[in-house]
Amino acid sequence: MDFISGLLPHILNGLALGLLFALIALGFTLIVSVMEVINLAHGSLFALGAYVALLVISPDLSALGPLGEAYAALPLGARYAIALVIAPLAVAVVGFGLEVCLRRTYGKKKEYGLLLTFGAALVIEEAIRLTWGPAEQVLPTPEAVTGAFLAGDMIYSKYRVFAAVFGLCAIGLVWLFLDKTPYGAIIKAGAHDSEMVRALGINLSRLQLLVFGFGAALAGIAGIILAPIWGLRPHVGVDAVIPAFLIIVLGGIGSFWGAVAGGLLVGLAVGITGAYATDWSILSMYLLLILVLSVRARGLFGKKTVLET
Amino acid sequence: MLTARGKVPLVTRQMLVFFALLFSYPLWASAVGLYDYIGVEIAIWIIYALGYNLLLGYTGLPSFGHGAFLGIGAYAYGLSQLDLSGGVWIGLLLAVCAATAAAGLVACFLSHRRGIYFALMTIAFGQIFWFVAIKWHGVTGGEDGLLNVLRPELGLGVASISLKSNTTLYYFAAALLAVIVVILWRVLHSPFGAAIQAIRMNETRARFLGYRVWLIKWSVFTLSGAFAGLAGGLFCLTQESAYPDVMSLHASGFVVMMTLIGGGFVSFWGPVVGVIVFFLARDLLGSVTEAWLLWYGLLFMAVMLFEPEGVAGAWGRIAARLGSQKVAAPAAGKEAST
Amino acid sequence: MSLFTAEHLHKRFGDQVVLEDVSLAFESGAVSGIMGPNGAGKSTCFNVLTGLHRPDRGRVTFDGEDITGLAPDEIARRGVSRSFQIMTLFDEFTALENILVALPEVRRGLGRPFWQPRADAEAIEEAREVLAQVGLEGRAGTPAAALPYGERRALEIAVALAARPRIVFLDEPTQGLGTEGRARLSALIRELRHRYTLVIIEHDMGFLFGLADRISVIHWGQVIAEGTPGALRAKDRVRAAGPGRTP
Repeated sequence: MDFISGLLPHILNGLALGLLFALIALGFTLIVSVMEVINLAHGSLFALGAYVALLVISPDLSALGPLGEAYAALPLGARYAIALVIAPLAVAVVGFGLEVCLRRTYGKKKEYGLLLTFGAALVIEEAIRLTWGPAEQVLPTPEAVTGAFLAGDMIYSKYRVFAAVFGLCAIGLVWLFLDKTPYGAIIKAGAHDSEMVRALGINLSRLQLLVFGFGAALAGIAGIILAPIWGLRPHVGVDAVIPAFLIIVLGGIGSFWGAVAGGLLVGLAVGITGAYATDWSILSMYLLLILVLSVRARGLFGKKTVLET
Repeated sequence: MLTARGKVPLVTRQMLVFFALLFSYPLWASAVGLYDYIGVEIAIWIIYALGYNLLLGYTGLPSFGHGAFLGIGAYAYGLSQLDLSGGVWIGLLLAVCAATAAAGLVACFLSHRRGIYFALMTIAFGQIFWFVAIKWHGVTGGEDGLLNVLRPELGLGVASISLKSNTTLYYFAAALLAVIVVILWRVLHSPFGAAIQAIRMNETRARFLGYRVWLIKWSVFTLSGAFAGLAGGLFCLTQESAYPDVMSLHASGFVVMMTLIGGGFVSFWGPVVGVIVFFLARDLLGSVTEAWLLWYGLLFMAVMLFEPEGVAGAWGRIAARLGSQKVAAPAAGKEAST
Repeated sequence: MSLFTAEHLHKRFGDQVVLEDVSLAFESGAVSGIMGPNGAGKSTCFNVLTGLHRPDRGRVTFDGEDITGLAPDEIARRGVSRSFQIMTLFDEFTALENILVALPEVRRGLGRPFWQPRADAEAIEEAREVLAQVGLEGRAGTPAAALPYGERRALEIAVALAARPRIVFLDEPTQGLGTEGRARLSALIRELRHRYTLVIIEHDMGFLFGLADRISVIHWGQVIAEGTPGALRAKDRVRAAGPGRTP
């Protein structure tokens, strides 16, 4: 087995991970840019997305009678697809609630908003533990993306390929949304200068509400896709939110391509070091961060912003 | 108002009240349903939170990775007992040194950063230490941590005291806490204390007045790391173990919560109140429900929403209202601002 | 030789040239003015002179020493002090504490844990004198945030003076002041000129013409005219560049 092809599966793993990291980071960076709030609850929203999906895919519907039976009889793929729509929406609703609370802290010390989201992170995580129990759970995946396939003389996981493709499509859609639609233009304007948005006659509060919900939904989607890879524990959010922080700092706060590039870099670093030292693979992303920041103080694509004051 | 105006004595009246409560605690603890062990925990975390508030409340630098320095202190103490059997003082000294060194190193990367970048970088560094603590089995014992760190005798020159009883241990921790309170009070009313507050209020102006802002931020970060290290050493002494949990993001967040819920932004005593609230909530809520963190989290969110300056802020407002009612009649108007 | 000089300064941000071959000289004991319309490069010029930005080319000297590219705090420690166009005060400190923290003794006393500047008779005495210079002696105990705008402007200048500077740069000190406030500030600067070397940025010609010994006019990042107010008044080019307001 030669060196490169031996590494390929790890590179694929890294890519899948990186694209999903990027998705989490994109939601995070949208929230930071428009509301100037570090959302420490982002990881909990990520976990919540996966747990809600679990509920949607294999619910206990015995109380509903025939309707419940009909739903349970649907193929797993269909239920999975339904979960992919409903779970992010549910997470978005929780995001709305959080934003409504956060509103009271706008214009005050930045720490208050930050700490409010930390409190929310605790609350969501504990609520998950209370609802679904502390034990590790498994999120079922459709037949089509389960198992492995052989290419060349290497074994690849189908699910990882699916995750990578899914992540790529999701990022593409977010980009299209931000860059090609009028809504995206408004969000970008809001990130640049909220006063301008108000001057244009756009309802800033509603924009902030929707952006927070959108960012939360992205975290929720990423949670669903990553859950089969990482397993599902109430505490899993921390594993997601930390890379997201790193990616944001690495890529530069508020930058779309920074988040994507940062996500890929971190994912690849983790994936490739995983080939040599599984135990220490996570450490590689911290080292990457310190390395990049020693050279570029504001990350790869970062500009000086008001967020530093 | 974070520091007093005018000349302050080495030991203030508020301190005397605090010390009186602190040292009489074992006498009345059981009467109100408390016990010595929680007193030790509270004393340790007050040391930690007061030191942390140098950074958060006074300098305005929100560190979310401070648990690392508590943990490093705990491991350093634990290792000194297991490998060197060096006694309490040496162990605590090593704990402080190790945490100071780590904080000093981290501060090199952080001191020129502000706002969100600062907060995110502290998270990153905190996670690195936490991660290393979990993975470096040979030294840290991995997820289980260092176990069976027995409490040695406390040498006091002429005699030595056993720390086996929680009451003795409490008096030891309380004595250290009292010393720390006096030291911090002194630091905060020195030019250094004025400088860190000036940096919080206006870093640009401080720089243009000739202050070496980078060095001052570095010093205050390192100093607060030293306090966390001392607290960590005491933590290991008390728990008879050191484990990576205290270094996690959550544990680091707890000290921020404690500092703010008590009102660290507006009062020297804020962190003290916050630590007490946290541990009482843990015991009271914990006796009712498994998910005490859920309720504490909700309580904390409510504080951030409705009274973000915490207990001290609410107290200040109530006191001001009561005070203004007393003098309202003759002197209306401008005097309120002074 | 001039106390403070700038020689052939160039500065660009991205592809925008903000300073082009700017040379200035400020004499000890004089009041120098820098004038020009908004966006002409005056503030950038101050920021380069006081160390916030490093010039792309050119040299800045103070007291015969090259200080080009030194950090702001390093330049400040040599005796260069400045105020800001956007108010930069220590808002939660009282007026007196704002001054105290600016005193060189306090800055040099960072390693003295047992010294309390707020209880030091000598330091307080000096701080009160500085406050008295700008007419804030009655406000010593008021937090900076609670002062009315005009008094905050005065405190902004006082903090710069408290550093016992050898040269003081005042960045648009009249910003936001009405006619009355301007007149009061003008009187204040007339007082201060006996004690300090001053450099003032201003876009209001009338204000500077009554105060400055020498004025440099900056437009499009270049010095387009220089001289005493009398000499400049004669020139038409100034009128073209300045907004031509009179008080």
